[in-house]
Order: sequence, then structure tokens, then C-alpha cells
Amino acid sequence: MATLTDNVNVNEAAIAAISDRYDEPAWLRAEREAALRSYAAMPFPTEKTEEWRYTQLKRFDIAGLELAKAPKDESISERIRMRIADSDAEGVMVHKGNQVVLKQAQIKEQGVVFTDLRTAVREHEELVREHLYSVVNATQTKYTALNSALWENGTFVYVPKDVEVELPLGAFTTADSGGIGLGRTLIVVDVNARLTFLDEYTSEPFDERLFFDAATEIVLKDGAKLRYVSLQNWSRNVAHMNKLRAHLGRDARLESVTVSLGGDAARAEVESRLEGPGSESEMLGLYFADEGQHFNQFTLQHHATERGFSDVLFKGAVRDASSATYSGMIVVDPGAQKTDAYQTNRNLLLDQESEVVSIPQLEIAANDVKCSHGSTTGPVPEDQRFYLMSRGLKPEVAEHVLVTGFLHEVMSRVTLPKVAEYVERVVQAKLGVPGVKEKL
Amino acid sequence: MSDKTLEIRNLHARIVDGEAILKGVDLVVPRGEVHALMGPNGSGKSTLAKVIAGDPQYEITEGDILLEGQSILEMEPDERAREGLYLAFQYPVEVPGVSIANFLRLALNARREEGDEIGVMEFYQKLQRAVKELNWDESIIERNLHEGFSGGEKKRSEILQLLVLEPRYAILDETDSGLDVDALKVVSQGVNAARGPEFGALVITHYQRLLNYIVPDKVHVMVDGRVVRTGPKELAMELDQKGYEWIREAVGA
Ligand SMILES: Nc1ncnc2c1ncn2[C@@H]1O[C@H](COP(=O)(O)OP(=O)(O)OP(=O)(O)O)[C@@H](O)[C@H]1O
Ligand SMILES: [Mg+2]
Repeated sequence: MATLTDNVNVNEAAIAAISDRYDEPAWLRAEREAALRSYAAMPFPTEKTEEWRYTQLKRFDIAGLELAKAPKDESISERIRMRIADSDAEGVMVHKGNQVVLKQAQIKEQGVVFTDLRTAVREHEELVREHLYSVVNATQTKYTALNSALWENGTFVYVPKDVEVELPLGAFTTADSGGIGLGRTLIVVDVNARLTFLDEYTSEPFDERLFFDAATEIVLKDGAKLRYVSLQNWSRNVAHMNKLRAHLGRDARLESVTVSLGGDAARAEVESRLEGPGSESEMLGLYFADEGQHFNQFTLQHHATERGFSDVLFKGAVRDASSATYSGMIVVDPGAQKTDAYQTNRNLLLDQESEVVSIPQLEIAANDVKCSHGSTTGPVPEDQRFYLMSRGLKPEVAEHVLVTGFLHEVMSRVTLPKVAEYVERVVQAKLGVPGVKEKL
Repeated sequence: MSDKTLEIRNLHARIVDGEAILKGVDLVVPRGEVHALMGPNGSGKSTLAKVIAGDPQYEITEGDILLEGQSILEMEPDERAREGLYLAFQYPVEVPGVSIANFLRLALNARREEGDEIGVMEFYQKLQRAVKELNWDESIIERNLHEGFSGGEKKRSEILQLLVLEPRYAILDETDSGLDVDALKVVSQGVNAARGPEFGALVITHYQRLLNYIVPDKVHVMVDGRVVRTGPKELAMELDQKGYEWIREAVGA
């Protein structure tokens, strides 16, 4: 059985060094110290911990890793440049190691803040202080505690009341050396404001192992709307751990999609807390594990108040001795009447060597609610395969068509066509569709 | 038999490790002719159609299927299709997330050499011609394959694909059931458009009505996994009036 051990580099000296380096305000130092205490007090997950039972913990081990340093090379790869050009974003930022290597934004809407988190602490201290750690903090998991204590930089977005940011904003996170990498995104969308944001994690392969710990905090005030994409396509030497959590005010709406394609192992915890009446959270997910990859997904739809709507659709495929897990939870608090909550997980098992575990769950403490959950796991339907082959498609082409068609249901609901197309291209490349890899 | 036929010879087939369904089918469809296959529910007509197309649900225990003199038993379904066989299914499946246009492009390209893929213009012209032949709205080609299609629309899609793929031999399994009168005419027109010296078809149906539009050269009757009678087109009318009981009695089935 795998047991995880601590990392000697995670200590008080390390956080003091960060606070000193950036001359951080006292409140932030105090937060980091508290987070570190909380980290130290929390045991590492084991396979006996319910939430981690099907996780191959060793693949997320941090023992012996150093904290991420400056990148070896601050340049941005051609591929990432193309991704930026293709993203239609009116503001982008590139994080590499602990550095921001690109920041460009020409945001025409008034009062929008889009900057790196470090700069935000200096220039928008009150905004940051009010919201940082309000959604993702050291109380949640060993890894949110680690991130809360040790993050060095990240992305900060604030959209003021009534402002609609028309074009997407995006952050690309990359790396060229191993260790423990930390990323943090804090998005605050104020009353009746709107935003579309893309967080993309990607790298060219490098030799060392990188453990990347990402925290995404989303605050949606009353009537705010956010479309959020988390796209994980790291090179295969990376293990990715991501807590992506949103708090939704009255009538706020979140449309999120969490995509896991790259890395050696990845865990995405996607959580919405519906705090304001009438708020809506659509949480989509797509994953495709091949060549031994291991992907964990966890969703939480927490209805803390009445008239909330939430809809989870996670679809994935596994092949070549890979594994995926999904576990989902709908929590409806007492008093959260007239809740509508749906949760669907569907998996394609493309060979016998691969494995899927799917555990949908409900915890309902109100009586006037509509909730449903469903989960399926199975091979490509034989009748569909036969149908396609009866038209002359070779078996491998039939399989490509069926897998992409199966996953298409998720991407067809993403209202960002460029992102949807890119994800479909990566999926096709993983499937070995001829001529696609070259175009990525 | 001659070169230009689809020939079923003493064919016995069963569900894999299960019950026998075809118990010695003999049948010849020459290229250039259209034959009808009739028979009571459950007699094995669809099974025969799917076995010819290579459905892995079934296994052949005896006999042979010859396409222009060559056995196709060892061929996968896709190879059979590329050799010019086509089955319009009685119950076409829904394939989510794949548009008719993309699917047909892949199906056409599967018949061509790598590097010689069909041009965009040529493809759309071909597709549009077929859509028009069926009096259909062009937007249909962007819809996902049979997703949310009505019963009749699925049948129409099967004929659309036939027109685009231009097989040498087609088996139409109850393409007429579920069609309204207008659609029946349109679909028959589609099949008649494909008709010619290079095209052979086996049309499975329960109704004389269809055979008024697609006039068969011969009619075969299947009972309990065997073709028990073959006759001219008038045989279909006789069945329409008298049912199957007299045939059962005549053959002692
Ligand atoms: N995959 C299968 N599993 C179980 N039974 C099957 C299967 N395929 C065929 N059968 C059985 O074999 C028999 C013949 O079925 P088939 O569909 O070929 O009949 P049919 O002549 O096409 O009937 P219909 O006119 O109703 O379409 C039926 O009893 C049917 O239930
Ligand atoms: Mg039938």
C-alpha cells in the first residue's frame, strides 16, 4: 500500500522566504503561517480515506521534490504562442515556473482588473484581501493547504458591477523544470457583471517530474455570470492536482468545463456552493486517459439555499491500461427547497486493461427538490460499431468516430467554439487520427 | 452460379453460442435485378440481411455467401461494404455526435486510396444531389446521425446513404415500414433511381404497397429460416390476399 510522506522543503523558512522576497503585508504572512500549520496538522490522504480510495496516491507524491524555481528559459514555446493566438482572448498571461513571462491586455471595458496575483496584492490589496482564501483555503485538503501556504504567483481578475467583458481572458501555465509547482487563480465577478475565462495548463516535455498544485477560487456576486474553462494538457511528466471551487450569489450563473487530457496523473475537484437563491451552476467535464494515465474527478454541488439549479455532466474515455475515477456528490441543505440538481457521469472503456470507477452520490435534507443522478461505464456499443463498419469504415476509424462522438456531447455545450475545436483535436490526436497531431 | 450475382448457398446461422435462426437459406440475386423477400414476423429475414452484412452477433455454421463468385465469409463488415454491399437497416442505430455529412465523407474516403480523398466540392455536390432526390431539406446533413430522428427520417437516411455510396448490391430491410405515403413514393423513387444493370437489390417487406412502386423481378418467401418459395411478382399479391398459412401448409412447415 502506498503511503505518502512529507516534504522537507515545505516549512516555515520557505514561506518566510516568499513573504520577504515580495515584501508581503502582515495579513498575508499571517495567512500563510496559519495555512502551513493547518497543512502540518493534516495527515496525507491514504487509500483508507473515502475521498481518496480509488486514487493512485503514489502518483501524486511530493516527497523529495523541491519548490518550483524560476524557469530555465523564459521563452514561450511556439505551440503556446499558437494557442494564445487561437484563443481570441483580449488579455492573456503566461506563468512559467514562478515567473510571469508574458502579460498582455487591452481590455476596453472600464475598471476591469486583470493582472498577476502578486501585483494584485500590491495594487489592489483590499480586493485581494477580501476574497483571497474565501473560497479555496487551508481548511479543505492537504493540497489546498499546501497551495495556500506556498503559492508564489497566480492570476487575479476582478470585473466591477454591471460590466460585461466581451472577449475571453486567459492564463496559460507552463513549466520547463520539475519540483512542486503552485498556481492560483482568483476570479471575482461583481454584481451583474460578466466574464469568460480560460485557464490552460500545458508544457513541452522535460526530464524532471513536476507536481503541480492548482487552486481556483471563484466568487460570483449577485447576478454575476462566468464561463470558465480549465484545460489541463500538461506533458506526461507532470502530476496535476486542482481544486476549482465557486461560491455563487443570488441569481448568479456559472458555466464551467474541466478538461483533463495531459499529464501522468491528474485530479480535478470541481465544487460549487450555491449560496444565493436562484443561482445556477453548470459543471461540465471531459477526460480521456491513454497510455497509462490516471485521472480522478470529483464534483460537489452544494445547495445551501433555495431555488438553485445545478447540472453536472462528466464524460470520459480510457484506454491502454489507463484509469479514471469519478465521484460526485449533491448536497442539499435543509431549507434549500425547490432545488434542481442533476448529475451524470458516462465512461467509455476502450480496452480490458483499463479501469473506471464511478460513484455518484446524493445527500438531501430538503423535501421539495428535484434531483437525479446517473452513471454508465461500458465499451463502445457493438451495434454502433457494426453500423459504421457496414458503411465501409475501417474498425479503427469507426472507433475514432464513436469516441469523438461520445465526447462531443460535452464540448457541444461549451459556448466557446475555438476551445471546443481544440479539445476535439487533442482527443483526435490521442486517438491517432491521421494528420491531426501536426496541427496541434 | 455466374459472376454477377449475390448468392446465398445453404446458409445456416445462429446467434453466437445460441439458437439457430437460419436453417439452410438458398437465394440468388443477379446484378441488374430487384428481388423481394417476404415472410412472417420472426422468420429470419433481418437475420439473413445482417448475416450478409457481417454482423458479429451471429455465426455461420454451414453454407456460404458469394459475392460475384467469391466467398465473403472471412471478410469483416467494412470489407464487405467496400466490396459493394449495402444494408439499409430495419432499425438504424443512433450514433451521437457524428454528423451525416462527416460520416458519409469518411465512408466515401474509406473506398478510396489514402491521399486520394474526395474533394470538398465533389462531395457536397454528390450529397446535395442525393438530398434533392429524396425531397429533403439540406440542413439534414449537418444533423447527427439519426440522433432524435423520427422513424421515417431514419429510413430516409438509409436511402440517402445508399444514393451517396452507390453499392452494387443493396438489401433494404423494411425500409417502407413507418413511412407515410408521400415518403414511400420518395424513397421508392430513390431506389428506382439507383436501379440499373449494375445494381442488384433484395427488398424485404411485408407489404404489396411498396412493390407497386418498386416492382420486383422475383419474390422469395421465407418461413422458419428457409426460403420456401420463389415466384414472379404476382406471388406478392397472392400473399397479400391470403397470408402465409397456405404456404406453411404447402411446404409442411
Ligand atoms: N440477436 C438476437 N438475439 C435473440 N434472438 C434473436 C436475435 N436475432 C434474431 N433473433 C430471433 O430470431 C428470429 C428471427 O428474427 P428476425 O429479426 O430475423 O425476423 P424477421 O423475419 O426479420 O421478422 P420481422 O418481420 O418481424 O422483422 C426471431 O425469433 C428473433 O427473436
Ligand atoms: Mg425484420
